Amino acid sequence: MATQPVLSEITGKVWKVLCPVGALVGEEEPIMVIESMKMEIPVLSPCAGRVASLDVGEGDDVSEGQKVASVES
Amino acid sequence: MSFEKEIEEHERRTQKVLAMGGEKRVERQHSMGRLNARQRIDYLMDSGSFLEIGRFARSDRPEDRDSTPADGKVCGYGRIDGRETAIVSHDITVKSASSSPINVRKMGHIRRTAQANGMPLVLLNESSGARIPDTMGAIGTGTLGQDPTQFVRMRDIPYVSAVLGPAFGTACWFTQLSDFVVMRKDAQLAISSPRVTSIAINQEIDPMELAGWKMQSEVTGKVDYAVDTDEEALDLLKRFLSYMPGHHGELPPRAAVSPGADDMAASLLDIVPESRSKVYDVRKVVSAICDPGSVFPLKERFARTAFTALARIDGRVVGILASNPLFKAGALDADSCDKATGFLVLCDSFNIPIVILSDTPGFLIGVEGERRKAPGKVINFMSALQMCSVPKFSIVMRKSYGQAYLNMGGTRNSDEMLAWYTADVGFMDPNVGVNVVFGVRYEEEPERFTQLVEEVRRDSSAYDLAGIFSAQAVIDPRESRVWLKRLLQVHERRPARGIGKHLLGGWPTTF
Repeated sequence: MATQPVLSEITGKVWKVLCPVGALVGEEEPIMVIESMKMEIPVLSPCAGRVASLDVGEGDDVSEGQKVASVES
Repeated sequence: MSFEKEIEEHERRTQKVLAMGGEKRVERQHSMGRLNARQRIDYLMDSGSFLEIGRFARSDRPEDRDSTPADGKVCGYGRIDGRETAIVSHDITVKSASSSPINVRKMGHIRRTAQANGMPLVLLNESSGARIPDTMGAIGTGTLGQDPTQFVRMRDIPYVSAVLGPAFGTACWFTQLSDFVVMRKDAQLAISSPRVTSIAINQEIDPMELAGWKMQSEVTGKVDYAVDTDEEALDLLKRFLSYMPGHHGELPPRAAVSPGADDMAASLLDIVPESRSKVYDVRKVVSAICDPGSVFPLKERFARTAFTALARIDGRVVGILASNPLFKAGALDADSCDKATGFLVLCDSFNIPIVILSDTPGFLIGVEGERRKAPGKVINFMSALQMCSVPKFSIVMRKSYGQAYLNMGGTRNSDEMLAWYTADVGFMDPNVGVNVVFGVRYEEEPERFTQLVEEVRRDSSAYDLAGIFSAQAVIDPRESRVWLKRLLQVHERRPARGIGKHLLGGWPTTF
């Protein structure tokens, strides 16, 4: 059982969190949506597993490379 | 029977070489779930086609003569799917497949023969590097470098590599030179082994961090595919080669097209969202446009904003370069430029027409990008694009802003530019542009800001682009495949028989 960090690929603002902690996600399934450049950009899970943590909330600013969640596979 | 003694002796010597490093070492290879050097060749090549070259080569050190069958690298020629191919298969059971003057001589011979006769070079890489103690001291090291063309790469023939175990030294060098690399997940690829590196820098090294598949797939982008077994690796080498000509003086092989291939394009209006703020996965667009089952992504885990794949349209091999809005909203970063550039070099060198699909808000700007030499990489990308002599077709799907519009084949940087009626072309994102040009910010004057954005956007349509003849056509997305099929028929470069000028043949293999 490994926990992988989920990093934001882009600088922007957290617009929507799509899954609660504990939710099951598939590889490349969106966990949250970040708004940047007037686009809704999904943050995708790096692996199939369970959302172990959500490190940001709706409305928070995020930077490129920032850890926004983690998934336990 | 005459010559009975010679026949027996020849058979004895042959069997000894075919036993490689001996039962114990060969069994160890199997216990790790790996094929041995000769089994790999048998799996990959058409049955009965392999001709071994240098079977009786061995170490030039008298004390090692009997313990170095084929001097640790099994080489020769064989056919893959009926096409002549040259191969070097490192034999880890013989002195860890380490390199020596004799086996390097063998590899040079195979390479020069492949080049002279137009055959791809297949490298099954698994080696500890240079042989010790042979290369120690001035005499040992000074004897190296006998081949002044060993690392010249003009892309006259494809080089493909499978990293099937620890791959250091020559095994690593030739992987770096290759057009296509597949790596086993339990293999290692680095300058030197974790053990030697730990000793040299006096620190513990995590082998996966130094030499592992994830790092090589996601960070360096050297590895195209990572697999669990030798068979999967060899199957992927075969698949890549099926898109390639045997050498740069011929066209890639054409395949049959399955019936119903034209039907997928109808789904394009379902794949692309109507809302401009929503993203989609461009890989679905590519699958809808190309022949079913023909899309073969390259470096899919690296620089995901730029999607690169070999594919077929109407049976003809094409190279697809597409910005993917699913990642970073399609904004192109430094790695995307490197990936795109390498891909253009591959396609142009092997006479493969290029199809560029653009939906990008431009190049990602910022301090991090500048520190990573983004401007230089943007221009490398432009240089490579402009030096291509294969046909280039560009489709503007939605956004195509600024310099990225040009890098993605804008105006005369492609032979024909098509625009979907959803295209939106301009110098920069209108939301940034209004701020920069008019000094109006949304936070201060929301109504005026929105109105100005609308005005700026009005002049950025597909019809404006076609009006000045920068786009040669405005099309419904569903017409994309039919248009590309027809353009490929027209742009066959018949006077040159489809063979390009290959100005990118000597481009670096890593940057």
